[in-house]
Amino acid sequence: MTPSTSTTSTTTTAGAEPRTVFYACKYTPVELLAGFGSQARLAEADVASFDHADALAHPNLCGYGKGLIERLLAPDVHEVVLVTCCDVIKRCYDVLRRQGKLDFVYLLDLPHKRGEAERRLFRARLEDLAEAYAAYSGETFDVGRALAACKPPVPRTDERVTLLGAHATSALLRTVSRDVGIAVENATCTNRQLLVSPPPQLARVAAAGNCEACEAPAAPGQVDVGRTGGTLDTFLDWYAEALLDQMPCMRMDDVSQRKALRDERGELGVVYHTMKFCDYYGFEYAEATQDGGTPMVKIETDGTSQSAGQLKTRLAAFGETLRGVSRARSAAGERRERGGAKDGASYVLGIDSGSTSTDAVVMDAERNLVATVILPTGAKATEAAARARQEVLERAHLGEEDLALEVSTGYGREAIPGMDASITEITCHARGAHYLMPEVKTVIDIGGQDSKVIHLDEAGDVINFVMNDKCAAGTGRFLEMMARTLEMPLADFCAKGLEWKHDVKISSMCTVFAESEVVSLVANDTPTPDIIHGLDESVARKTATLAKRVSAEPPYLMTGGVANNEGVVKALEAVLGAPVATHPDSQLCGAIGAALLGLESLA
Amino acid sequence: MAGESWVGGILDWGGNLLSEYSTNAPDTVRWVLNRGFDAVRWGTRHLPNRRKLPSGQTASRIALESVTRALDDFGDAVVTSIWLPSEPFLALGTNPVCAEALAGFVAAAKSEAGFAAEAEACGIPPTYCSYHRVLLGMAASNVLESPRMLASCSVACDANNLTFKALSRYWGTPHFYVDVPYETDEASIRYVADQLREMTHQAEEVFGRRLDEEALRACVDRTNRTLDNLQRALPLRRGRYLASDMGLEMQEALAEHLWLGTPDTLAMSEQQLDDFAHADSYQGLNLVWAHTPPFFLDSLKRLLNQSQEAQIVASDMLYDQVLPEGRAFGADQPFESMAERLVRCCFNGPADRRAARLLELARATAADGAVVFCHWGCKETAGAAQLISSTLEEAGFPTLVLDGDGCDRSYDMEGQMSTRLTAFLEMLRARRAELAAEGAGHGQAR
Repeated sequence: MTPSTSTTSTTTTAGAEPRTVFYACKYTPVELLAGFGSQARLAEADVASFDHADALAHPNLCGYGKGLIERLLAPDVHEVVLVTCCDVIKRCYDVLRRQGKLDFVYLLDLPHKRGEAERRLFRARLEDLAEAYAAYSGETFDVGRALAACKPPVPRTDERVTLLGAHATSALLRTVSRDVGIAVENATCTNRQLLVSPPPQLARVAAAGNCEACEAPAAPGQVDVGRTGGTLDTFLDWYAEALLDQMPCMRMDDVSQRKALRDERGELGVVYHTMKFCDYYGFEYAEATQDGGTPMVKIETDGTSQSAGQLKTRLAAFGETLRGVSRARSAAGERRERGGAKDGASYVLGIDSGSTSTDAVVMDAERNLVATVILPTGAKATEAAARARQEVLERAHLGEEDLALEVSTGYGREAIPGMDASITEITCHARGAHYLMPEVKTVIDIGGQDSKVIHLDEAGDVINFVMNDKCAAGTGRFLEMMARTLEMPLADFCAKGLEWKHDVKISSMCTVFAESEVVSLVANDTPTPDIIHGLDESVARKTATLAKRVSAEPPYLMTGGVANNEGVVKALEAVLGAPVATHPDSQLCGAIGAALLGLESLA
Repeated sequence: MAGESWVGGILDWGGNLLSEYSTNAPDTVRWVLNRGFDAVRWGTRHLPNRRKLPSGQTASRIALESVTRALDDFGDAVVTSIWLPSEPFLALGTNPVCAEALAGFVAAAKSEAGFAAEAEACGIPPTYCSYHRVLLGMAASNVLESPRMLASCSVACDANNLTFKALSRYWGTPHFYVDVPYETDEASIRYVADQLREMTHQAEEVFGRRLDEEALRACVDRTNRTLDNLQRALPLRRGRYLASDMGLEMQEALAEHLWLGTPDTLAMSEQQLDDFAHADSYQGLNLVWAHTPPFFLDSLKRLLNQSQEAQIVASDMLYDQVLPEGRAFGADQPFESMAERLVRCCFNGPADRRAARLLELARATAADGAVVFCHWGCKETAGAAQLISSTLEEAGFPTLVLDGDGCDRSYDMEGQMSTRLTAFLEMLRARRAELAAEGAGHGQAR
């Protein structure tokens, strides 16, 4: 037994179900295991909680690794083959082995390079695995079964988005496909594909055993399998290289081939999936943003389908960006057909249902704002939307029948009853900002729930956008929490921050850590205005980081509730090195954009 | 680390300046940093910290000189990962410097925050190892200009793959990557030895120098003697006052990696044998430490630095490369010898190996307990923490898993960390008293 194996001996009886080997990495020798009559099953690390993983390992592993520990400790798992993909998977193996619940658990060592020496080494490691699995299972290797498991390459679809980055579960693939509204190609490590087919001699050998034909020299580029075909040796001579020569994952030394996954014919855009504490894909994402080219949106999950459910806004907005705003417009128009507006009705209602406030505007056919209203959202978004709708119509002295179209946006946009269309706040904010300040090239929107930076073209269409990761850092919520820590009302907090005298650095971007820093500063009697200024700067730095990712350029317009915090606006100006404009109606930006897009759909 | 002595005040002042201007005035920041480090280097030579044992003073000087010598002419330096054998570069007469050394020095100068933020602005994940994040930030802000060569190996973590590739792209500097297999058999050793040969050939081309193989053999011979001395010194640490501190642990680790193979480091290891044999007896608590310590946190310094109450008695960052069971390849086969050390390093392979090494350290030094420091972003340690902890606890060594950051203060929750370590020390004291009352006596319970 090698140090990378742990087994308890079992045998299958004739006619029983084939053994199932769970695996995680695309470099797992699925076909080799099939040669022993076992079926390989991808371990989907989509679990309800990380309780076991947090206790057996550590919370600071990536969600995928923690999910994998949870999944592989489930009672239906008996055999596991992992690969030394990354630090986390190596530690997952340690945890599984220490638990001692599996009949067979093996860690296959994968080289980082793909030269001749690495192929030889990898072939030897595959042979070790085969030997260990044969000893454990009592099965013999059959090359025919192995070859039957070799799937031919799948042709690519035209008009697709590519899902790149960290392992995608089938739930995430469904979410992306549904919310973007375009066919998705899975280019993450859960899509396993050998790029070459077995050489014909190997297949002939499998079918007929030894034959004279195999004595003929192999064609150029094909492996000479020799006379003793049907053996593990001949299979591995071909297989080690084929397995190693897949599209390289990010842990390989030379990943230049991966550029072919972006910017190829038929690819409309890239959805880039990252996870906290997964280092590899953050680097590829950073490089891809510098390359430009294909439109790209970054999403972050913890590997669970619960976290994938929170991606709707950015995925739908990305879909709208890819399909062009015209599709969104026509969708609004189609839905209008089903509405009940009276003849000649020309007003459009826009409602932005945000986490903090619900904003509504009525706009006439000449793009004039007739009435506006801003209400706190409170506990029920739909009730706030209904009240906002009623109030804005009253202020405009209009009835429902005067409305040609009602368009919603914001987090609660789908839940508002009676709307003709819903459009994401990304598209709406862009259009609204262009209305308020036609020269604007970059919108910085910091709301209660999230922050986003949208880069616009001259017409107010979205060129690119980026949103904060799944955490409160750099959002209005962050400042609210800090105001609570300092026991101050938010308005006082904003005003006090302008009175700062000394620079205080809040280095942590994490809300929890930042709170701890604030507590320490308070304990050291640091003046409150200086602390607040440090927090404002922290939000500004985080936002500037986002801006850099979409190649943001001035003129800047800041929208969202945090635009009312002068301290943050000033800090942003300092970090970006350019003026950041605000607008008295900036909080209405999303609702204005919704109304404008509605109007355009009527044209 | 560098900022502990009075000369460190210069760096404390510089640090604030650096955080502010790292992006706008990289030349000034580089000048301030280098002059600050020069001042500290002068201090380690002429005003050594007498609270340390002579071997500790030597370790401080080596750590300072290794970094400042590289920074003096960074355009001619080679930036390496800490576990990559330095001997080929030392034998070529070049100056290797690693991410942990550069970032650690920047942290000592209290200026890591600006560089970490600079890296994050380029898209580097905030959950990435802080040593590497700071190094990337130093490059991105142009405070570090392009070195002559980059070389890294896959031990001990993924960051050594990613950081160096990113730096190579950014600087346009040639990079050699040594892939270290998980298995420790002869095939792995020979595979790594061949890569080290190839790396050396590349370095010869890049630096335009020919390797003197005799010089390399001498270097590797010194390495092996140094590591053997370390192993001999291990039992001598038992019950002795080592005058250790967290910064010194880091400095010794740098000396034993970056300058392993130099006469200075060999002399330091010889000096340790003499120092420990004649050191005062120690009644305080002895801790085995896993990973690098957060040497800059005042509240932890008060608990562990040159203290009669508690001390770090040994760490896996210093004892990761010793081979107590002997080595198959000697200095007459220098590449195989370096490869064997790398492949069999306790940070390579399963976590059991690291746990076993820590257990061996705890037993040899009769430690009272162990601390597994989960450095932010280090998945190698985080994933192994509970396994190491249970291995040590099953053998009778209470173990604290402490979360924090060895480089970036903003990821240290100092109040909580200090409370946890203090409570752990209180628990160890009570346990020792109980054992004494039971007549087991200190160390006999093992």
